[in-house]
Amino acid sequence: MAVAAGRILSNHLLKNSLRNCVASGLPGLTKVCNQLKTINVHNSRCEQLRYETTTTVREAVPQANAQLEEYGKMCAEVLPKYIQRAEDHHNGQFLNLSDIAGIDIPAKTNRFEIVYNLLSLRYNARIRLRTYTDELSPIDSLCSVFIAANWYEREIWDMYGVYFSNHPDLRRILTDYGFEGHPQRKDFPLSGYVEMRYDEDVKRVVAEPLELAQEFRKFELGSEWEQFPAHRNREVKVRQVSPGESFKQVAKEGEDK
Amino acid sequence: MPKDSAYRVNTEAIVNARRSVVTQESDLNLLESKIGGGQVEELILQASRELSLARKMLEWKPWEPLVEDAPKDQWKWPM
Repeated sequence: MAVAAGRILSNHLLKNSLRNCVASGLPGLTKVCNQLKTINVHNSRCEQLRYETTTTVREAVPQANAQLEEYGKMCAEVLPKYIQRAEDHHNGQFLNLSDIAGIDIPAKTNRFEIVYNLLSLRYNARIRLRTYTDELSPIDSLCSVFIAANWYEREIWDMYGVYFSNHPDLRRILTDYGFEGHPQRKDFPLSGYVEMRYDEDVKRVVAEPLELAQEFRKFELGSEWEQFPAHRNREVKVRQVSPGESFKQVAKEGEDK
Repeated sequence: MPKDSAYRVNTEAIVNARRSVVTQESDLNLLESKIGGGQVEELILQASRELSLARKMLEWKPWEPLVEDAPKDQWKWPM
């Protein structure tokens, strides 16, 4: 009896707190609110909590997509040699390099893929450029065009070992001094090659070759990267949100149900 | 820069259109609304960036044919 009363009380609290979240318009919390589908009232006593199985994804704006696609075609026409970039051009004005990312696919001849994300503040648009390389052939650095590329390219060099030619200062940026290898490569072991510890005798941190205790030596021969195989093909029903619709409305709709 | 390079054709069209608007219109507000690319100061910045891009384009020669084709299955995903 006491347990049941507690549950009802906590449901009430939850509902109220969720409503407050909606009122204050906290986006992260309203998302949580969407996931917790509230709340059927039977005889104004028994309330049960059901879990939302759908996610809310904003609908694409077809017009903007068409414009971007046209822009891409124009770029391909303008730059047949590279299809590389057009950031200063009147029609694009992609002046902001928001990120550079890397992908490693060892099965391919050119195993590394470098992804540049560009942002145009003028047209509120983003484009993504992809290029590829292998371990040995260098890529031209983007530093002369975007200053922001400096550290991003150092990250890519550090994590993947992709060499950028004409980079002003290509050093490691994320790993420690004297680090060997490139940790984001698929053939880099998850445990690394060395372990560090503080040595009481020599009064400093020493790095030694990795020794794994027997209980950690449970090697699984499958891919290290497949973490949740049960969820690989899980279907998620997507509830489309039209561009004008706010999270508040969606949350309210969820509550009405 | 060759006359038929796509970059030159497109850019010349834009720049000429803007230039004709600038020469015809003396009222700044009307000018901005006609071009529709922001304020006049921004338009000047845009033009100077386009100029520097054109100079770089001369260096890069992007109208030449593609350097090499992508190897087969390079863009295929999943493998």
